[in-house]
Amino acid sequence: MEMLIQTLVTGVLIGGLYVAVSIGFTLSFGVLDVIDLAVGMWVVSGAYLAIVLQQLYGLEPLVILPIAFVFFGLVGWLLGPLIYRVRTSNYALPTLMALAFTFGTQLVLRGGYLATFGYTPMTVKTNLFSGVWHFMGISVPVVRVAGFGFALLLTVLLLVFLYFTKPGLAIRAMAQNKESAGLMGVNVKRMSTFVYALYVGMTGMAGVLMGSVYSTNPIVGLRYTLLAFFVVVLAGLGSVLGVLVAGLILGVLQALVTVYLGANYTLMTVFLVLFAVLLLLPNGLARRAT
Amino acid sequence: MWNPHTEWQAMSLMRKAALIALVVIAVSLPFWVGPYWTRIATGIAMWAGLALSWNVICGYAGYISFGHVAFFGIGAYSTAILMQPGYDWNFFATLPVGAAIAGGLAAVIGWPVLKLRGAYFAIGTWALGEAIREFATVVPITGGSYGLSLPPNTSSIFFYFTMLIAAALAYIICFVLLERSRFGYRVKAVRDSEIAARMQGINADRVKIEAFVLSAVIPAILGGINAYWITFINPESVLNTLLTDQMVVMVLLGGLGHIWGPALGAGLLYFLSQEFAAQFGDTTWYLVFIGILVMLVVLFLPDGLVSLSPNTRRQRILYHLFGRTHKKQRDSKNVAAAKESIDERP
Repeated sequence: MEMLIQTLVTGVLIGGLYVAVSIGFTLSFGVLDVIDLAVGMWVVSGAYLAIVLQQLYGLEPLVILPIAFVFFGLVGWLLGPLIYRVRTSNYALPTLMALAFTFGTQLVLRGGYLATFGYTPMTVKTNLFSGVWHFMGISVPVVRVAGFGFALLLTVLLLVFLYFTKPGLAIRAMAQNKESAGLMGVNVKRMSTFVYALYVGMTGMAGVLMGSVYSTNPIVGLRYTLLAFFVVVLAGLGSVLGVLVAGLILGVLQALVTVYLGANYTLMTVFLVLFAVLLLLPNGLARRAT
Repeated sequence: MWNPHTEWQAMSLMRKAALIALVVIAVSLPFWVGPYWTRIATGIAMWAGLALSWNVICGYAGYISFGHVAFFGIGAYSTAILMQPGYDWNFFATLPVGAAIAGGLAAVIGWPVLKLRGAYFAIGTWALGEAIREFATVVPITGGSYGLSLPPNTSSIFFYFTMLIAAALAYIICFVLLERSRFGYRVKAVRDSEIAARMQGINADRVKIEAFVLSAVIPAILGGINAYWITFINPESVLNTLLTDQMVVMVLLGGLGHIWGPALGAGLLYFLSQEFAAQFGDTTWYLVFIGILVMLVVLFLPDGLVSLSPNTRRQRILYHLFGRTHKKQRDSKNVAAAKESIDERP
């Protein structure tokens, strides 16, 4: 029983991180209408940025978070217009070409990290949030709680931005219908770039957190992409509240599989559940028609 | 029905000559070049087939698959397992088994996923590739991460011809099915507008699944041959995501949705990758190289290298836009041809 509770708590704490990764992802999907296959590599990028900065200047992850946001925001701001251009081009299959484009960025990032850092797993160290809390027979590493807390904070900030500011309103309008939003005076191209930059910046930050909770190597990026996609599908496309629930479900599912079956079975289980979800609930938990 | 005789008569003299030259070179190649070039040619034949299979689902059916390596691996493992001591199957008898397993799996996976938007399919197949690799790593019958050894066969000419025949057969079948039969029209109609295709009475779900099964069977057979060729397989060698990455790059480079694009891209990229390995050794910078190649092709050459050859869709459109105006008759003909072909792929 204690083991089960311990597993559930671990799962929820990891789920918070998945929520932070997936929420920007679902936003950029809704607005740009492109699945960014590089999402997992942005997570890994955030972790590697933190590792490099730590080795050079000995910074705390807490200080690195804003740096990561600015840095990856800039990267996204440079890359966003290219994706927008491919997506809105008059190619024969623009959606497919846009997917192929993000696949290319993903390859470049993966190859670059493999060549620079190799396969060795690395971790972002933290002195501020070290140690383990013991609480009613459950032990929780402080860094996981802190990661969960920051992920939650990020999510709340993004939700406030989306639902209580004017640019947020424009973004939500674009997610519903780009043409109408354009007619209402939204600069669709600029906002798309902005959303992509926001998403890459957020994912980079989430990567710093992910890197301090788990060890990172370039290969896990692929895993994160699949997990983020799982969350988005389970949530139903474009549903922000669905992401909150689905992220936590994924965290708990992963923790349960790891404890009771073994870590090697995670992706297989995730794949089977994904398959079942697509079969039974193709519109996800939110049940919105796509 | 497709008739080879009429096809041959309809070809221009240049094409006839090129085809004969290609066949003569392909058949005689291992007898006048060394073992190194025979090995390269075997690799090119295999990759042309793999890229072709990826082109079937992506270029013709319009669904991007990032887990195609799963079918390659299934074929490789089926052959390897059935040829283990204790089963001792004949090599050629194992190939249909792998093809059947891969085709069945493609049908089962495609049934729910192909009804949804392309992004679902992309990630669904990617997850499939990863899941199959995990499966091969943990299940005892595949030898886990250590892998399996096959009975050795060192005849490079045997593998060259087996691979060549398999790839050529795959090519002929795909050419007939996709370019010269009603099935090809159905697949392309569904790709270009699924709603319009359904209005014409096409069973779009079935057509897409058929295309996916076709594109899954080819890599399974090539994977089986490959396993026997390299005589030792493990998840790292036959289920590596790099294999899918290369297929994607080859097709995009050669020309998406064009029957000869994959062969062109495969020949070029395989050659480049060998040169790259010879120059810089076996480094992961290769991934960066092909990644940049994909991005550049998508941005600047979306129809691939085949679109550079004369008399393609792109050129006809360019002519339509910038062509001379004083030769009215020829121009109006060209405009009509361009208008007709705008909706077609090159």
